[in-house]
Amino acid sequence: MSVAVGDRIPEWVMDSVTPERMRTMAAILRDPNPIHWDRDAVNALPLGLGQRTINQGPLGLSYMINMLHAWAGPDAIRRIVMRFPQVVLDGERVVARGEVSALRQEQDVSLAECRIWLEHAERGVLLEGTATVALPCPLS
Amino acid sequence: MNTTAMHKKPVPAEADITRLAGHRFPGGTYTVAHWENFLLTECTGAELLPDGQVHPVALFHLPIIGAGTSIAEMFDLGQAESDLSIMIESYDWEMFQPLREETRYSVSGGITSAQRCKNPEGKLYDRIAFCFEVHDPRGTLAARTTITWHYTRDTL
Repeated sequence: MSVAVGDRIPEWVMDSVTPERMRTMAAILRDPNPIHWDRDAVNALPLGLGQRTINQGPLGLSYMINMLHAWAGPDAIRRIVMRFPQVVLDGERVVARGEVSALRQEQDVSLAECRIWLEHAERGVLLEGTATVALPCPLS
Repeated sequence: MNTTAMHKKPVPAEADITRLAGHRFPGGTYTVAHWENFLLTECTGAELLPDGQVHPVALFHLPIIGAGTSIAEMFDLGQAESDLSIMIESYDWEMFQPLREETRYSVSGGITSAQRCKNPEGKLYDRIAFCFEVHDPRGTLAARTTITWHYTRDTL
């Protein structure tokens, strides 16, 4: 594995964000917010989202974690900072993407600073942030 | 459904918000069971990670519940006008070691900042940041998370 600034991280695709997974997540998280499991509650909001539940923030973030795991390994992530400019809705197809913005050495660990984001074909960037990832290879 | 979800509460006094900074949760422990990690990981669309490693998505609820609080209490502390009025500003998750299933983590946490703000349209909101630290059974810091939420007021 050779990594350089500007490299794109192989994308990770969630073909369909499902309301069933949101419900399971809400139960595990003890999350009382009905936007994750009650389509009528979302429809009643003055946001024009219709009868669709809103994905939990951590779930949207998890798609980018999955992308980074597939790229650099399951214990590679050191830090993630994420912002949530748009919601992710049930039924949507979303794609996690990223690129290497900087490389550095910290003691004996090679680290990649990455820009990461979650994208929807029509609505653009839904989530965006940065990740620090330990690389399984020395910097060249 | 939470019966308070649709009943808006009045806007709290600014002093009631700013005095939240420094609030500490009781603290406690949390263990991610295999079944829980299995379901969590499935929700992300990924395969289980090797060697009993917990999917990092657990870094949202593990610190909250482990610290002895809940999402509902965090909404209440900021006097959310409804469950629908909370917006996420950011999550900052620092991971110092992989989390493992069936491992008892100690968690501490509290509110690190609480401010009244206005958005570019002049709408009032309160910005509250919660910080949690997760230690492994040997006392080594395993993760630190910061959740920053906006408690919107009279917006929805």
